[in-house]
Amino acid sequence: MKTYTFHITGTHCASCKILVEDILNEQDFIKGSQVNLKKETVTIETESNESAEAIAQLITNKIKPNGYTLSVEKNLQEKKTDDVIWKAIPIGLVFLMLFFILQKSGILNLGIGGKTTPTTSFIIGLIASVSSCLAIVGGLVLSLSAKISQDNISDTKTFLLFHTGRLMSFALLGGLLGVVGNAIGINFTFTAVLGIIASSVMLLLGLNLVGIFAKNKVALPSGIFNFFRKIEHKTLTPLIIGFATFFLPCGFTQSMQVTALSSGSFISGMFIMFAFALGTLPVLALLSFGSASFAHGKYAPLFFKSAGIVVIGLGLFALLAGLAGLGIINPLFNI
Amino acid sequence: MNKTSSIIITLALVVGIGIIFIGGSRKDIANTMGSTQNIEIKNGVQYITINAKGGYFPNVTIAKAGIPTKLIVKTNSTYDCSASLVIRSLGYQKILVQTGETEIDLGIPKAGQPLQGMCSMGMYNFLINFS
Repeated sequence: MKTYTFHITGTHCASCKILVEDILNEQDFIKGSQVNLKKETVTIETESNESAEAIAQLITNKIKPNGYTLSVEKNLQEKKTDDVIWKAIPIGLVFLMLFFILQKSGILNLGIGGKTTPTTSFIIGLIASVSSCLAIVGGLVLSLSAKISQDNISDTKTFLLFHTGRLMSFALLGGLLGVVGNAIGINFTFTAVLGIIASSVMLLLGLNLVGIFAKNKVALPSGIFNFFRKIEHKTLTPLIIGFATFFLPCGFTQSMQVTALSSGSFISGMFIMFAFALGTLPVLALLSFGSASFAHGKYAPLFFKSAGIVVIGLGLFALLAGLAGLGIINPLFNI
Repeated sequence: MNKTSSIIITLALVVGIGIIFIGGSRKDIANTMGSTQNIEIKNGVQYITINAKGGYFPNVTIAKAGIPTKLIVKTNSTYDCSASLVIRSLGYQKILVQTGETEIDLGIPKAGQPLQGMCSMGMYNFLINFS
């Protein structure tokens, strides 16, 4: 019987300890295992005569699908984390700066005259997806995507569901607006409150991605934490979040909703909102699937931290704007 | 990239973002100087015109107090946030027509009570001072 201690990566939650130990204890050659979350180590007792490297590789193969890896040496990437944040901050800030320059430049105020048809609403969707609406909708998508990819759950399926939910609900609600006409008042205060909730979620996730909370592992208050567990595991949740984006504060969305309202029929309202959502799809899909591909690549730690910085910046921007919109604070900026 | 150079770049970027935010409003203040051009008095009614597209222009207006006043918000294929106008002090909130003019009655404004309007997301705003 020999005892080995390995370094483990990917243990981001309290339940990871239980999960890893369960998997290890299922293996025939392991007699006992102990995960130390604080030190990020795994101690195992084994009867195997293989070398430490071979055992680490063997176990990694078993736990890799759940997003963990074992190594004999402390992982080099982990050692670099301190430096990574110093690279991530400038990268994140560059993206934020480009975003705000784009907003200030006025390039986005294209003239689209005349009647709103599905074609024009598609173009408006394209513009909206890089406009200030990106701060809130895109920021939310980026933070959730990065978080889900980080937790290494079947992210592609979750993203597909989210985008499908978004397209479907825009079409459906657009159609309803067309039928009902003026009955559904789009309440500004309601959307503003929703926006503030969304920006708070972004701030929390952003801080989490940067790793501010990483030291004590259980990053978010348990309620929110459970909420994200649910997002990852349930089919319905990404659909609902996609649905909820219809109500997030975004001037473009609201303009389109009014157009759908006045369109007068289910079909035309549906086409207008669907085309609009389709227009916003490329950028949002890029954000979510881009996160996924980065998250599984070599630069994952750098990506998560940079994304965290961008999300924090956008979250702050959206939060301050939202509070000003509700009349709680004086507007700090005019962008 | 070492830590020191990263910190320097970070500081430079923070300053840059600050300039984007604050530098913009300086331009707006410069706009204000000629803001009397957007005020017209016809038959004893003061009309204040604000253009809404990618923000509200002029950003700050100085108007006369004590006479009946109407605010005209002009839109020209405005789809962005500035189309969803909120004026909290009047309890006014409306999504403006995409192209056209919307008239809002401000009653008889009192001196020293500025009127602030903003878009529903809060990133664009305008101010009318009455004196």
